[in-house]
Amino acid sequence: MSDDDHHVLPKNTLLAVFGGLIVLTGLTVAVAVEPVASLLGPLTVPVAIAIAATKATLVVVFFMALKYDNPVNALTFTIGIIMVVVFITFTMFDTVYRGDLGNVAPQTVQEMDRQQKEAQQEMDQLDSEDLRVAPADYPDQQGAGGESTESGNADSP
Amino acid sequence: MSTDTHTASETEEHHGEDVNYLNHETSVWSWLSTKDHKRIGILYCVSLAAVFLIAGVLAILMRLELSGPEATIMENDTYNQVFTMHGIMMVFLFLVPSIPAILGNFVLPMQIGAKDVAFPKLNLASWYVYMAGAILTIAAVYFGGVDTGWTFYTPYSKATGGGVLWMTSAIFVAGFASIFTGMNFIVTIHKMRAPGMTWNRLPLFVWGLYATSIVQVLATPVIGITMLLLILEQTLQIGIFDPALGGDPVLFQHFFWFYSHPAVYIMILPAFGIMSELITTFSRSRIFGYRAIALSSVAIAMLGFLVWGHHMFVSGQSVVSSIVFSLITYLIGIPSGIKIFNWVATLYKGSIWLQTPMLYALSFLFLFSIGGFTGVMVGVLSVDVHLHDTYYIVGHFHYVMMGGSVIALLGGMHYWWPKITGRLYNETLGKIAAGLVFIGFNLTFFPQLVLGSRGMPRRYATYLERFTDLHQLSTVGSWILGAGLFLVLGYALWSLAYGEKAPQNPWGAATLEWTNVAAIPDPHNFKRTPLVTRGPYDFHLADEVFGGGDGEVDGHGVRVPEAVPSAPTEESTA
Amino acid sequence: MATDTETAPAPTTTDIEHDHDHPAHLQHHFVSSEQQFDSAKLGMWLFLITEVLLFSGMFVAYAVFRQWHPTAFAEASATLNRTMGTINTIVLLTSSLTVALSIHYIQLDKVKQCFYSLLATIGLAGGFMVIKYFEYTSKFEHGAFPGGLFEPHGAHYEHLAQIPYAPQFFSIYFVMTGIHGLHVLIGMGFLGWAAFHVWRGAFSSEYYTHIELGGLYWHLVDIIWIFLFPLLYLI
Repeated sequence: MSDDDHHVLPKNTLLAVFGGLIVLTGLTVAVAVEPVASLLGPLTVPVAIAIAATKATLVVVFFMALKYDNPVNALTFTIGIIMVVVFITFTMFDTVYRGDLGNVAPQTVQEMDRQQKEAQQEMDQLDSEDLRVAPADYPDQQGAGGESTESGNADSP
Repeated sequence: MSTDTHTASETEEHHGEDVNYLNHETSVWSWLSTKDHKRIGILYCVSLAAVFLIAGVLAILMRLELSGPEATIMENDTYNQVFTMHGIMMVFLFLVPSIPAILGNFVLPMQIGAKDVAFPKLNLASWYVYMAGAILTIAAVYFGGVDTGWTFYTPYSKATGGGVLWMTSAIFVAGFASIFTGMNFIVTIHKMRAPGMTWNRLPLFVWGLYATSIVQVLATPVIGITMLLLILEQTLQIGIFDPALGGDPVLFQHFFWFYSHPAVYIMILPAFGIMSELITTFSRSRIFGYRAIALSSVAIAMLGFLVWGHHMFVSGQSVVSSIVFSLITYLIGIPSGIKIFNWVATLYKGSIWLQTPMLYALSFLFLFSIGGFTGVMVGVLSVDVHLHDTYYIVGHFHYVMMGGSVIALLGGMHYWWPKITGRLYNETLGKIAAGLVFIGFNLTFFPQLVLGSRGMPRRYATYLERFTDLHQLSTVGSWILGAGLFLVLGYALWSLAYGEKAPQNPWGAATLEWTNVAAIPDPHNFKRTPLVTRGPYDFHLADEVFGGGDGEVDGHGVRVPEAVPSAPTEESTA
Repeated sequence: MATDTETAPAPTTTDIEHDHDHPAHLQHHFVSSEQQFDSAKLGMWLFLITEVLLFSGMFVAYAVFRQWHPTAFAEASATLNRTMGTINTIVLLTSSLTVALSIHYIQLDKVKQCFYSLLATIGLAGGFMVIKYFEYTSKFEHGAFPGGLFEPHGAHYEHLAQIPYAPQFFSIYFVMTGIHGLHVLIGMGFLGWAAFHVWRGAFSSEYYTHIELGGLYWHLVDIIWIFLFPLLYLI
């Protein structure tokens, strides 16, 4: 940290990294054209992203010299990348499974309906006075306003 | 925290009384072009006070409207605009910048022994950008106002015209002010610390600001792109959020809450920092669990990014993600609990000095705990489905935002008031105001928790007869709260003009801004860069030099300070 | 990090009096050039992650809509010109190399080479924007506008009108590349400013902070494109 000489990257390193980047660009185009693309099938996307990530890593580590830099800069950048991953992953937890509440099998729904009806019937057989718990359930004894009607709410879905 | 080299007595006598950061330049231009972090803090303070006043008056108006079940003083449409403006101004223009921009700017460089923040020009730019955002907000009101609620949910915000476009631009712009402050603080804390100021000697306010800054830097760009996409949605019909064009409105909520949930921690983390300062100083006690408090701030900052979906339990998002978000939400309770326990443990067997800042600190402990517990409740998936969009939520976040953040800001303002202005405020009035604020606050918001649990939905100007009593109680509370806050404003202004001159360290505090900075700070903060040899809450030296804050007070309720602090000689601490 | 290594130096070392050798570029609130350089660099990295997160919003939108409507995205993506995209990628990678070289040269006090490297960078960036301009106009000619304005016509584009959610692809394409292009323009301006000062001899191996920061920014713009290229053009 305290040395006054910043690390000077040799020109050859820079050129070698550039060469690598060009080769990887060629590779990512190559895997996207027809014979290879259908060969890879569902792997096309992961492969393309992996190649892009490799290229980006090369740029960050050498061109941006993070390898030779103060570690706190690397930490900063890493945390930023982690946040992007969090953002994408957690959003896709939702969008990939969107509507999963509706994915219940019809049998299950029917069974739930049946159970609910049974419970309703049981409730109907009970005397409403047995269900009084809150002060509001005793409208005759105190003026608790409109809440007296809520005594039957326990069974509403 | 002490220095060996500093000789306060000499400098005080020679020119310390004459030259300070307030009087070394006095023209208006010198204020508008200042790069001094202390003056920028004051610029922010004045701007934010104006915003708080306007948004607070809007709140009083809302409570007046709700004093009866039918429309009383305004129409539904007006009410919608009023609560929207109250929310937007309080959140984006007041709470998010509040503690970092006012007290952080003023105190942070002094607490770590730096002459200024790392990027003073950027700091000034931050204030101008903030003011640009504020002007755009006014433009939004002028061009028809906003009635979307502070969350701008699509598709309504896309469909409704008026000032939405201006308001989203305002938030886009104001976000940069927040980013600039955050970047500045992180770099300052990493690179500008005085010799000997190790990470373990950082005052906990600095740790709080550090955690805050991380969140500001990581989260704020996302609200930027969200607002930008919303603007493009309105102007170019890009169809990302609008279902009529094939977009997804729930995606907007993901974008919005990816920022706005961490923004909650932008508001509360610096408040935690202030709490640690107040509790230690006014109980003359070593902080219990320094590392736990420091690192729990960072933990909250990071965990805060993983829970945004708990605002969306009834939005139609997938159950899988609701469950994941709900589970992670519980985790936030752990570091928050650690903090409360540590503060209580710090108070235990301390010699507690009940000055105004300490009263606010104790209020905070009480109010924030209620805010936190109600927060855990609404984090429970099944409970939230019922409580969502009721007054329970309103009560909960006011307990956290106002009971946490604003109360801590008030405590911090009282605590650092002598350093900022060089004058003392009236302690008796201060205590009365603190009492009024505490009572008024609870009277306003506790009934709202009850109202919400009984099913009173939020964002309505009218309500059913049976909610009348609690609403009226809440309205009366808002008057008491308002009276308390106006009292604070009153004696603050009085103190500026007629207040007693403050000594260098009226509280006997041990952090650098009190021990090593003159009563009113020098333009460059320190005569000599301090050399730090102690932790931030080691009161031994402060006790010797400035007298212990053991509650020994004179007739006016203010301890008589030593005229000139006698710094220790080099040998005694070497 | 810079200052926590020494805990108890002699008191005299903490004097803030400006008695050390004091380069003109050193601002008053910093102790040393090193501290100033490190601060600027950390600040830049923080700024870069704000940029990354700004773009992340659009990447999320891309990921979500692509996952929902893969066919529409594949069909719409096929209308983009891969050749131009590939050329642009190589142009931008080359400009990244030249900006890295400019830092290499200034560190060795080779001011003239540094100046030409920066000029090359700006030239390549301009080339990138020109190619982008031709790509945009060819899309506009066929009515491939973003979102609600989408009205494709002409060969290779007409069939998109029948595909739901194809407009979303173009919305995302234009917003992402548009904001990226804006960053390219800002980078050109900043590097141009730096080049001007290099030409005037303001920078040397002692002090080249602005070139370093401009370089970091430029590499980030490159990295964003490295991801945009395969996502928009290839898959």
